[in-house]
Amino acid sequence: MWFVARRLLHAVPLLFCVVVLNFVLIAATPGDPVTILVGDFPAPPGYVEQVKREFGLDQPIYVQLMRYLGHVLTGDLGYSFANRQPVSTLILGRLAATLELTLTALLLASLLGIALGMLAARWRGSWLDSGVQGIASTGYSIPDFWLGQLLILVFSIWLGWLPSQGNMSVRGAPEGFAGFLDHLRYLLLPALALSFRYLALIARITRAAMLEVLSADFILAARSRGASETSVMITHALRNAAAPVITVIGYNLGFILAGSALIETVFGWPGIGRLLFDSISRRDYPVMMAILLMVSVTVVLANLATDILHRAIDPRVGDR
Amino acid sequence: MTRIDKLAFGRRQALGALAFAGLALRPGLGHATGGSGTVVAAIDNDPPTLNPGISTDYATGEIAAKIYESLVWLDVESTPQPSLATSWEAASDGRTYSFKLRQGVTWHDGKPFTAADVKFTFDEVLGKLHPRMAAVLKSLGAVIETPDDHTAVFRLQRGYAPFLVQMTVFDAPILPKHLFEGTNIPAAPASQAPVGTGPFKFQEWNRGANIRLTRNENYWDKPKPYLAEVVFQIVPQAANRSAGLQTGELDVVSDFYMPKPDLPRLMRDASLQNRQGINIPAIWFAMFNTKSPVFAQKEARQAVAMAVDRPRLVQQVMRGIARPGVGAFGDGFKWLVNADVSYDKKYPLDATKAKALLEKAGYDGSPIRMVFDAARPQLRSEAQIIRENLRAIGMDVQLEPLERSVMLDRVFAKREFDITLQSFFSAGDPAIGYTRLYATTTSGTNNNASGYSNPKVDELLAEAATAPDRDRRAALYKELQVILNEDLPSLVLFDEETVNVATKRVSGLWSSVDARDRWAGVRIQGN
Repeated sequence: MWFVARRLLHAVPLLFCVVVLNFVLIAATPGDPVTILVGDFPAPPGYVEQVKREFGLDQPIYVQLMRYLGHVLTGDLGYSFANRQPVSTLILGRLAATLELTLTALLLASLLGIALGMLAARWRGSWLDSGVQGIASTGYSIPDFWLGQLLILVFSIWLGWLPSQGNMSVRGAPEGFAGFLDHLRYLLLPALALSFRYLALIARITRAAMLEVLSADFILAARSRGASETSVMITHALRNAAAPVITVIGYNLGFILAGSALIETVFGWPGIGRLLFDSISRRDYPVMMAILLMVSVTVVLANLATDILHRAIDPRVGDR
Repeated sequence: MTRIDKLAFGRRQALGALAFAGLALRPGLGHATGGSGTVVAAIDNDPPTLNPGISTDYATGEIAAKIYESLVWLDVESTPQPSLATSWEAASDGRTYSFKLRQGVTWHDGKPFTAADVKFTFDEVLGKLHPRMAAVLKSLGAVIETPDDHTAVFRLQRGYAPFLVQMTVFDAPILPKHLFEGTNIPAAPASQAPVGTGPFKFQEWNRGANIRLTRNENYWDKPKPYLAEVVFQIVPQAANRSAGLQTGELDVVSDFYMPKPDLPRLMRDASLQNRQGINIPAIWFAMFNTKSPVFAQKEARQAVAMAVDRPRLVQQVMRGIARPGVGAFGDGFKWLVNADVSYDKKYPLDATKAKALLEKAGYDGSPIRMVFDAARPQLRSEAQIIRENLRAIGMDVQLEPLERSVMLDRVFAKREFDITLQSFFSAGDPAIGYTRLYATTTSGTNNNASGYSNPKVDELLAEAATAPDRDRRAALYKELQVILNEDLPSLVLFDEETVNVATKRVSGLWSSVDARDRWAGVRIQGN
């Protein structure tokens, strides 16, 4: 418990610095949100002033920062001037879609990555091993947004099997279980595109960890006791190889969340990542700040959860 | 029932979460009665607002044109036709317009539409907040009188030739007074969940995903509208919009959202239809910073005009769907083109003469900063070709593609550029969109950032915008071209031709000059 409390306490100054740094960096970025807000034609100066006053953009940066910090401490994430909505409402409206996409991608990457890594380790040097290593190298070097476009080209345009945009049918949407399946059809391609890089990473780490464990004495002992190969691989080897794999999965959660910005844009998926992407192009500072803060908190929590899980799996890791 | 912004854990989202638990319970979306079929049209992003009275955002206009109406609409020849006004009279001096308003029209919430809505809209919304109309109405000193519930009289302090063609839903949508009066209009609920008099009613806005409109059963022009629903699907990637047309996920994509490189392929596709041509004239141009050391001399600007291969730009940048620039106002408005001073005659491709002009201008080989919006791929190709053209005459061009808001700041606020690549459109009349390109201005986005200021030009532009007689106006615009084609504060590279694309299942589209307008008569087969 002390460990958890200590880690959470450490996170407070870290998050404070993240907020201040983000605010200063965003404020220093060239570009004017009011210009974006009022459209392309020369706006009446009175209107521009009104918009600036309305959102406090006429104040000096340090006043804006102080106001923002005060609001964040009371749980108020501000008001999106591009969307004319409270930021918390906007983010809550998009959160489910992003969680759905990122968790599915993480699940796909973890299950397939671990399975492929195990198979490659078990049949080291075989064609299967070479294949897995090929997939791992490819997956790690292909940009995910490019892979997304490729998947759309093949599965949506050429084969016509899966939809290319959105997260639901917009006309004649089926009901009940058919509706659920319809939704899965929309989820599959973006989840695959987002997961591939991490699938590759997890497969490589799993393979390496398994190879190390498989050469250990206790594996030889288990085999000599007549344990089945499945039991050796899963009960003995995988459990001992799990620590680095879990670390990689946990530490990459933040990257997957951040990576969803491009994938959500490619597939028109209505999540937080798209919201961030749009907010950057519209200079919607309050939304950008809130999403960056959310990602930072997620990374801190994911790292903490990873450490806790690490301790649970490996008793050698304890309080120092 | 109107719903906006389905929140977090909305039904569809909740399903995704339940998927992991193996559950699948999903109520369906409601469908409107009457009319048939759903047309899905692409937009690129969530619009900043659904109030066309306060924004000129393209997507705002795209959606609002189905919900709201205006006094007139423009047919394909840009001729005003009756909409909320059934007839109108203009005084011979062009300073008084009297509109008879349609009777029996109701807002989507059932309240009657009256002249008070027209007066409120012009006085409190368009006159104060509309990015295009506020300045126009102010300069005209427009006063609106409503002698009765069905008459609106506009009294102007001076004539303004494009007055009627600017009374469209994009520049002059009529808003409900009873919902906006006394509110902070940009933040009012009706700016997010609009209530209009048009053929379709706002149903829901799933942010990041789509905006859904349903049929207005009480529309005044029965039996229209024919469709049950119109859905605007947000497709952020341009390439996926053309893909969506081919996969059948989308039915209609406006030219504005169309990736130009895909057009030739889509135009050959037998399952698709298109409307090609200049409907809303738009010019793509290179604007020179006449205050920069390089382009302060007009000879340097003329040298560029002689070096840039405009037909090549048309072929390579626009895939042939454009026409090479001929003069300061392009050739989208045929009646004003002055062929005697056209670019073809004044600036034929001639590298030797261009070099001589550069030498006369005293160009010392210093680098030229060419600034443009990085998000528009055509501008990148355009910039690369121009750089190559100018290198041939000894100019060292450095490309500076910038994110849009940064570009607006650099070009229109700070004026830190030598050449900038831009495009302006002018719906219905050159005075609406092109005057800002040459009139003296000191601030504001999307206008004359070249620093060029010529009192004679200002005077001619002002008269050309107000003269009621078309022949007189043509003469003034021709005189302007004599000056502007010589001085070249901006070099018009080409006139864009718009191409709107739709699947062949959709009919009744494009009855207006603006593809976004007049959807009451649209139908779709087979859904």
